[in-house]
Amino acid sequence: MQTQTADETSASKRRFSDIVGYGTVIATIAMLFFFLVLPVSTIMARAFFNKGEFTFRYFPLLFSNEMLMHSIGNSLMIGVVTTLLATLLSFPLAVINVKWEFPGKGLLMGLLLVPMVMPPFVGAIGLLRFFARRGSVNLALLDLEWIDAPIDWLGPENMFWAVIVLEVLHLYPIMYLNLSASLANVDPSVEEVATTLGVPKWKQLKDIVWPLARPGYFAGAIIVFIWALTDLGTPLLVGYHETIPVQIFNMITDVNENPVGYALVFLVIVMTIAFFLLSKLALGSKKYEMMAKGHVSSARRRANWFSLPLIYLLVGGTVFLALVPHIAVIITAVSNKWFMTILPEQYTFDHFGQVFQTSLSLIGIKNSFIFAGLSTLLDLILGLLIAYVIVRRLIPFPGLLDGLVMIPLALPGIVLAFGYVVTYSDTFLDPLHNPVPLLVIAYAIRRLPYMVRSASAGLQQMSPSLEEASTTFGASRFHTLRKITVPLVTANLIAGALLCFSYAMLDVSDSLILAMKEKFYPMTKAIYVLFLEQGSGELLASALGVIGMAILAACIMGASLLLGKKMGELFRS
Amino acid sequence: MEVVFKSIYKRYGQTTAVHDLNLTIEKGALHFLLGPSGCGKTTTLRMLAGLEQVTEGQLFFNGADVTKKPAVDRGIGMVFQNYALWPHMTVYKNVEYGLKLRKLTSAEIKKRIDDVLDITRLTQYVDRLPGQLSGGQQQRVALARALAIRPNVLLLDEPLSNLDAKLRGEMRDNILRIHKQTGITTLYVTHDQREALSMGTRISVMHAGHLIQTDNPRTLYNFPRTPFIAGFIGETNLIQGKVLARDGEAITVETPVGRFHALHKVEQFPVGAAVSVSMRPEAIAIDWDKKGQGSNYFQLKVEHLTYLGESEQFQLRSPSGQAIKVNFYHAPEHNFREGDTIGCMIAPEDVLVLPPQTEIGPGT
Repeated sequence: MQTQTADETSASKRRFSDIVGYGTVIATIAMLFFFLVLPVSTIMARAFFNKGEFTFRYFPLLFSNEMLMHSIGNSLMIGVVTTLLATLLSFPLAVINVKWEFPGKGLLMGLLLVPMVMPPFVGAIGLLRFFARRGSVNLALLDLEWIDAPIDWLGPENMFWAVIVLEVLHLYPIMYLNLSASLANVDPSVEEVATTLGVPKWKQLKDIVWPLARPGYFAGAIIVFIWALTDLGTPLLVGYHETIPVQIFNMITDVNENPVGYALVFLVIVMTIAFFLLSKLALGSKKYEMMAKGHVSSARRRANWFSLPLIYLLVGGTVFLALVPHIAVIITAVSNKWFMTILPEQYTFDHFGQVFQTSLSLIGIKNSFIFAGLSTLLDLILGLLIAYVIVRRLIPFPGLLDGLVMIPLALPGIVLAFGYVVTYSDTFLDPLHNPVPLLVIAYAIRRLPYMVRSASAGLQQMSPSLEEASTTFGASRFHTLRKITVPLVTANLIAGALLCFSYAMLDVSDSLILAMKEKFYPMTKAIYVLFLEQGSGELLASALGVIGMAILAACIMGASLLLGKKMGELFRS
Repeated sequence: MEVVFKSIYKRYGQTTAVHDLNLTIEKGALHFLLGPSGCGKTTTLRMLAGLEQVTEGQLFFNGADVTKKPAVDRGIGMVFQNYALWPHMTVYKNVEYGLKLRKLTSAEIKKRIDDVLDITRLTQYVDRLPGQLSGGQQQRVALARALAIRPNVLLLDEPLSNLDAKLRGEMRDNILRIHKQTGITTLYVTHDQREALSMGTRISVMHAGHLIQTDNPRTLYNFPRTPFIAGFIGETNLIQGKVLARDGEAITVETPVGRFHALHKVEQFPVGAAVSVSMRPEAIAIDWDKKGQGSNYFQLKVEHLTYLGESEQFQLRSPSGQAIKVNFYHAPEHNFREGDTIGCMIAPEDVLVLPPQTEIGPGT
């Protein structure tokens, strides 16, 4: 040990891997430009330019069309009402989660999250079956003699509420997760101080807890609002066509003749940005630094004989309600000869067998696995690199990149898909010829925020000195990333990948819009097309939906096991 | 390897973290960089490692300019304050990592790992993960990992700050022993003056981004160059004053507490210059018998007495309001009480005349 010569490391090898590393970063930015910034700007430009001339004439067309005005009003109402109802539903649930302790809590609170991963448009199939004129609900009510004639639940006047119910039951978990995380972050000692000062409980909630939890609430609320506003699948299946997403969907086919579509999509972008800014600036801009992290376990109350039944009723009731549409799908999928009875007379697994004999559904399953798998791989690479660049501040203004990557969270799928169609028609990426590249990229871009957030969470917990130590030994940044960083954030990466994969598997808007030929149909489009078919199509669609739900449920369970409490932080803007 | 910092600056936007640093770390030395937190010592260390860019100035290894060389090419072994052990690798893998990046035969790698694990007495823990080790063992793994690559320079960033008092003493001896065995040029950063005094042969003191003094422990303690060092290394009483007269090494300073004669070898101050006077609490003698005379005699009022067994602390105050602290070892029985007036004396050679205490800058 007397020698003092530091051994030489292989310099050329290192330079090479650095080039690979930086090249990937550049590719990431290029990808975000071509498949996020460019399509959105193209829409914006085409909404104002006609043959190179600036024009405002599309917007009067938009506002003079009565049906479009109705659609805009309906969609805004869907967004507002869904957000309000989801808040009312999830606030008590979040308080129960944070403040109370009771037997079976883990299981019940876990079940609360299940609806999030159940695609609402699959649920819609079940709901339609249950609430049809001659559906189970009406038959049951007739049997009980509560009504004399079947109620038209899904008639034109009730479609709005059908969509709302499906959206609320699908989206409340996001609100619940955000509220729980925000409430849990409030240090219980600030409430204890208030208690010692004689402030009553309700006033503490209003004056202390709520202001501190507010930023987290609005971060979640804006996501719920935008998702409900721009969800395509649910209104499409319910048949509620006077909504913005369905109108955009219908306009895609003749987009070159009818430029009103641009104006409508532009309007969606403007609304998204406006509501986003509103929530950030006016309502949730202030973030309070918590002096000490909450250690809530000490402040949890045990439920007693009085509160326990209430809690069970509320949580159990919510879980039940939220799962009704999906239970209906499952019953439909295994029903045999279901006609004019409340429940099927016979049950069978034949439909699942048929699923695997029908070319359409087989193509759908196969394509979905391939597309979702590829997009997840892309997310994994991009997400890790972006998170790394942002967390380690490798570029000036990392906040800008962070903002850019988070846009897809609020960017409606229809907008992105629409943008792809108009930007890449008549190019080598034309979705008419082969939509696979665009589909994979669309899936990847839209789920990138989950991956970036997930990887960032891991990186932030990791001391930079672990990487610096590796650097001092002569390891390149790329080598360090591979050998030190990635192994230490593996759990976060897997969890993020599972989320990306499952959401890609059941993506609706990109799939319906971009996949135009049968051989490229993903599962969701296959479900939609089967559903529209006469005869046993609905049964096959249900069976395929059940298979999708099973895949999704398995993925999300894996993710939540790996991520634990951090799940709530993924669904924030 | 000899390390030379030449006029090095480190700026973060408007703030200057390191200001005109000139320092030579001799080959094979165990050199200490001492200063309060935020003084720029860790920044200096990180510049040496290549983890921070030098804003201005040059850094030389054995005469070769390495200012622009990236961290990966410097051959540095670093022990981080939090050890930065890779939690997913065993002790063996942690040590092996740096070696695998080098063109070494597997036999050579094996031999080196065995050597460092032996020298750090970790051989029995090779298969453990860092989480299964105690704080002291983790510290030794960090040290072994840094030593395995036979670094040009070993950097220790507050290596003992996360250990309890007992382990700290043990690790001090370990580090001294390993340094002696390996002879690797080592820079040791700490804010603990006792650590530096007890282990160091050369200590550089930094304050507010400036390197103020580099000396051996005794010289630092006895002849601090600024009031800051006098107060940072050991305790002292600082009184602001003015030079009244001087005659060769003898210097007379007028202060609100009184007139002090000093024998001064370190720095020259002209008559009329503003200065500060530093007197160590243990250097001040107390006039137990109330003789009322002696060199540098001054009278103070007793504010508070603290009896500590082997010593007694006197907190005193001059008529002008200056607080003076005196530590007396083996104090005799006495009947001074709070409020009494007490006579104090100090030998001229124990009175240090230093630059005046100003705001932070090169003179502080």
